[in-house]
Formats: sequence, C-alpha cells, structure tokens
Amino acid sequence: MALLTGKPSAQRQGFELAMMSPALFLLALITLVPFFSIIWMSFNDVSLMGGLAFEFSGLDNWQRVFTDPDIRSSWLISLVYFLATVGLEMLIGTVMALLVYSLTRGSNIIISLLLIPMFIAPVIVGLLGRFMLDPSHGLYAWILNETGLFDGNILGSVGSAMVAVILMDVWEWTPLVALIVLAGLTSVPEDVLEAAEMDGAKYAQKLLYIILPSISNILLVALLIRAMDAIRFFAIIFITTNGGPADSTKIIPIRLYDIAFRFFDLGYAAAVGITMLVFSIMVATAFTKLLKRQEKTQ
Amino acid sequence: MTQFKRRDILKGMGGLAGLSLMGAGSLRTALAQGMASDEAWKQASGTTIQFISENTPPTTAIAANLASFKELTGITVNITEMQLGALVQKVALDFGAGRSSFDVIYADPYQVLAPYHRGLVDLNTFIKDEQQPVIPKGIEDFIPSQLAAAGRFEDEESLYALPYDCPTMIWIYRRDLFEKYHDQMQQDLGFDPTPSDSTTWEQYYQIADWFSKGNASEVKYGTGHQAQQYDSLMCDFSNVLFAYGGDYFTNGQQIGLLGTDSPGACQLTSDASLEAARFYQKLLKIAHPGSTSWDWTGVANAFQNGEFAMMPEWHEFAGSLESSPLQGKIGYAPLPKGPARSANLWGGTGIGINANASPEKQKAAWLFLVWATSPQTQLMGLKSKVGGGTPTRQSVYDMPEVKAASTPPTDMPNMLTADTMLVAWQDDHIGLRPKIAQWNEVDTVIFTELSKMLAGQMSPEETMQSAKQRIDRIVGA
Repeated sequence: MALLTGKPSAQRQGFELAMMSPALFLLALITLVPFFSIIWMSFNDVSLMGGLAFEFSGLDNWQRVFTDPDIRSSWLISLVYFLATVGLEMLIGTVMALLVYSLTRGSNIIISLLLIPMFIAPVIVGLLGRFMLDPSHGLYAWILNETGLFDGNILGSVGSAMVAVILMDVWEWTPLVALIVLAGLTSVPEDVLEAAEMDGAKYAQKLLYIILPSISNILLVALLIRAMDAIRFFAIIFITTNGGPADSTKIIPIRLYDIAFRFFDLGYAAAVGITMLVFSIMVATAFTKLLKRQEKTQ
Repeated sequence: MTQFKRRDILKGMGGLAGLSLMGAGSLRTALAQGMASDEAWKQASGTTIQFISENTPPTTAIAANLASFKELTGITVNITEMQLGALVQKVALDFGAGRSSFDVIYADPYQVLAPYHRGLVDLNTFIKDEQQPVIPKGIEDFIPSQLAAAGRFEDEESLYALPYDCPTMIWIYRRDLFEKYHDQMQQDLGFDPTPSDSTTWEQYYQIADWFSKGNASEVKYGTGHQAQQYDSLMCDFSNVLFAYGGDYFTNGQQIGLLGTDSPGACQLTSDASLEAARFYQKLLKIAHPGSTSWDWTGVANAFQNGEFAMMPEWHEFAGSLESSPLQGKIGYAPLPKGPARSANLWGGTGIGINANASPEKQKAAWLFLVWATSPQTQLMGLKSKVGGGTPTRQSVYDMPEVKAASTPPTDMPNMLTADTMLVAWQDDHIGLRPKIAQWNEVDTVIFTELSKMLAGQMSPEETMQSAKQRIDRIVGA
C-alpha cells in the first residue's frame, strides 16, 4: 500500500530510522559534540597546561569580539576581499564562459587549459605568487617594473599586497565559475535565441534579455559556492603576506589562526570562530532565499 | 636491576672525551665502541621514543646518523620534523591532552619552554641520578648564555632543556666588494668601512647608502632586511633596539636569560627605544625595497642573487651561502654597535623531555639528549653532508680540526663564522628577546606595529607608544 501511495508507513519509517541510527549517531558525535563544545569554550578561559581546563568567564570573550578594534579591522578587510574576489570571479568567469560557448571549434582544448589553475592547491598558488612577485627575481615584478606600471614592492606595500592576493584567488577560482556558467549555458533555449536573431536582436540584447535570465539560477549557485569559499580563504594570504604589511591583508581567518594556534587563546578563538560561522550561515541563507525567489518567478 | 657506579660511568665518559680528538672518519664507530661497554647506555634497550623537532639542519644530521645511537643504546628514535609553528601547536595540544605523543621535545625557549616548562622534566633529576650517564664534560661545557637561555626558566637551578642549536644574527657582507671598493669608500665616507668591532649602526647606514647610490655596479642596494610582517621583523629590529640601549622590558637581558611570568611594564617608549625606532625607520628607507616582503630565507636568497652588499642574517645561512656562487666572497662580523653595545639576537633552542612520558621512556629520552648534544655528535653534525648546525659547546670549538675549519677552504662552512659567533655569544654581545609565556602575542604586536611604521602609517613615536599599550595589556602590567 505504501508503495502504491508513495508514502512510507510509520512502521517502515521506524525501520529506516533504526537502520540509519548508527550513522546518525556517528554524525552527531563528530559534528554536534565539537559544535556545542566550541559554544561552551566561548564562555570560558581555556588552558592547555596540565590537561584541558575550562574556567568560566561569562561573556568576556563575546564582549572582546564586539569591542576589539583588531577584529573589526579584520572584518572590514575581509569584506573588501570578499566583494572583490567574488565580484571579479563572477564577472570574468561569466565572460569566459560566454566566449568559450561561442566557439565553434577547439572549445574542449580551451576548457581544459582554462581549468588548470583550479587543480592547483592554494598553498602552491601562494608559493608561485610569492616567487613571481619577488622584487629580486620575480617575473611579474620585473615586467611591472620594466613597463613602468609599478616599481614598488608588490607584496611588501599596503594596497598592492591586497590587490595581489585578490588576483591570485581570482586566477585560481575564476575557472570554476566559468565551468558552472558553461554548464548553465547549455540550458539556454536555442529556439528562443534563433527567434530573437530573426527578429534582428543584437548580441547585447540577447545576452541581457535571454541568456542571463536563463542562467540566473546557475549564476546564483556559482555565487553561493564561491562566497562560502571566500569567507574561509586562508592559504594564499598565509603563504604570501601572512596578513601584512601593516595588517593590510589580515582577513578574519588569518586573525583567527593567530588567536587559536599562535596565542592559544582558545576561548576567544571559539567566539571569533562562531561569528564567522554565523556570517557564513547568513550569506548562505540570503543566497538560498534569492534562489528560491528566482525559481518562483520562472 | 643492574646497578651502575658513577665511577664506571665517568670512566666511560672519559673515553668519550678522548674521542673528541679523533677524526670524523672513525667517529661513528668509535662513539659506539667507546660507550657500548657501559651498561648504563643499554638500560632502556628495546624502547622506542618519539622526537618532535623543527626541520632544522642539526635534526637532519641526527636523523641521518640514528643508527649509531641505536647501536649504542638499543633505543629506536622516531623523528617527526616540521615547521616551528606546527610543532608548537602539536606540543601544546599534547600537553593539553595530558599525553606523551612525543617524548623528546624541541623546546623553543619562547614558544614552548616559557609557556609549558611545567610539562617538561627537570633534567637535574637525571643529572643527579648516579645510574644515568653523565653529560660529557658536564653542563659547564655548554656556552653559558645559551644554557641559561635555552634551558632554564625563572631560576638558575631547574634545567628543562639542553642547548641543541644556536642560530644567531650577525653581519653578513660581500667581502669581495668591501675589498674592491675599500679605498674609494674610505675616501668618500671618511672612515674605514671594513666591518669591525668599532663599526657603528650609523656607519652601517652610510655604507649602505654609499652602495645604494650606484657606486658599485655589482649590487643595486647596500643593505637588505628580513622585514616582512612576521617574526623576522621583530628579530631584525631587536638588534638595533638592544644596540641603542632600548629593551622590551626592564632588566631585559635577565628576562631573556632566565625568563619570567611577570615582566612588568613594557619599556618601548624609553628614549633609547625611540631612538632605535627612528634609526630603524631611516635604515629601512634606503634598504632594498624588497625587504618588507622578505623573511630570513627571502633576504638570504636576494643576497645570494647579488641584490645588495650586506645584511643582518642568521649565521647558519653561511652553509648555504658558501655553497652558492658567492663562495669565498662573503665576510662575517658581529653586528654594528649602537650607543650602548653590539647586540646579536640569539635564536637557539634546547631539547627537553616530556613529563607525561612513562619513566622508561624518560630514561631513554635522557640517553638520547646526552648523545644528541654530546661533543661527538655535534662534530658529526658539523661534518654531515645532509645538514648540521653549529655546536653549542665550547669544547667543540676548541677541537683543532674545528679551529682549522674556520678559514677557507673548509668542509665545515658554518665554521667560517666561528670567530664571529664566539664574540656574538659573549654576555655583552648576545641579544635576547624576553622569555615570557605570552611571547607569541607580544611578538605579533611588535612586528605588526613595526610593519605599520615601515608602511608609513605611523611615526616611530606612535609605533612604540601603540606597541607599549598593547604589550602592557597582554602581560597585565
């Protein structure tokens, strides 16, 4: 009967739940226990010496999170970094996808070449970047210097260091956006495009009124994936500038790393980490709502 | 249980001391033969211990020669090497868990010893135990300033680590260029530019400026620095700070040697500290512009590439520089002096024993400590083809073959710095950062504020004021 109606019976549901319970229990153990531990840690001073010890400190860590000027500054830098990387990746990735999609021959080779950066580990990208931008032997530093575009120390100057780490991230992850958008472009209705062409529509008009609206859902998915990734961005900055110079690239994950694993102020680190988690959830929720609204209007 | 008489053990160690005069070819065999007769070395046979170390040249050399230790003691040593930051995390978490995943610990004085000395065994327990092998030539053979800085905390009795490596910042320069342009420089600058005990930081600045003005075609700039926003920037600045008579805390040299839990108020706003900050800012303005993105490795690479004529750098880079195209063209000297003195920042480390380890493993760990820091092993490290640091014992520097190696050509390139180092480690030359539990946080404040100063965001006065406020808050002053 349950098969006929498509709804599982209560008995069957109980059986399924029982079958899944070991996995659910394990999942809870490795996710919920650490999660609640971190929440508890954020209300304590945590000491490592002589065994892990908690000393209840009330809202002290939370008060610090909201009054610490260094944390505020790191959030601001993170925001700039977040908007710049995600914005550039979406823009360039979409343009790249449109160009590749318009190719009639050799698109497979082009796609393969374009995807190479995203298969490189971020740590290696950081090391490559540091090497290429080194003022004594870096190729990019030399080109910029010879062409008169920039004669300073790229990773050692405020401003240029931020631009450099943003461009490294853009170089690595734009291909991912292009790949996602490219997949979305295959769903653009060919007959509508042909009809528009017969009506004399120009490329810009087709792009604005047919192509982009058709792939808006996939663009949101790409945006969501990259946004989630950008919030926890760490490796490239850690390798290239370590947050400097003058804290100009000290985004919140780098600050969190210092607090947790260099200063071992684990209670405070837990509070900072939870604020990052809340921010991630807010961004993800906003994008998901947008996605649902988009689906309803289509 | 076998009982050992102290006399027997001392007899064995006498043989060990005699071995110090032997050549390298027979060293490994001789070490094993000379000590294997002593049952004390076999008391933990069959034990396996874990040694966690920073990936440094001495550990690389020891890892390559562990067979001789196993032959001598029957103990298996597994070595885990990693970067210092990762090591500190692992050790801290090990202590936090109350476990002993690592029995022998590379105990950085500032990041491990100061905050976690209670997790390390007081080595006096073994030194006073007549059943244990004594330290060859006694602990008095270790360079005194290094023994205190690497091994002690707060008092002169407890000993938590034995000095294991000893990188120290010195003045590394292009001797070929200093010789080639000597007369011209002397005429232009009005003083003898050859690095010496009497050279001042102000003269260092003038020499750097002379090179930066294009007087020597071989290099673009006079000086390069490890001024990235990182620990290296604090190291580079500290040489100038101490030379000018400034310090991080009152009685800084004592806090550097023994350490403390309550260093008191930060002294970075003293007149001497401010003068040092002003000079450092001035110096970095004429330094190679790449300086603000280089750590110690970056600045050494740039020096090797012929970008500039001189730099303050860790002396252990001599090994790699002397195997580069610059071989034979490099000179070494203690860092210039300021109004107060010449200060050469020491960055050495000791090795200690995890107090959470079982008694059996602690015994095995002690045997390893004695062996790893013995004159013979340090000599072996010097000659190692795969690594090797510089000795932490006076007796090694007194060995004829080591003395002979201090002039080129040599198969122990690090020994080219020996004469300089023995001066740099003297009490009035060594530079010691504060050995306090909160050092990592204080260090971060120092290099972050200095980085802001070098970026032109803050004046030297604002920098020192801001650093003092933050440091006082961290140490609770």
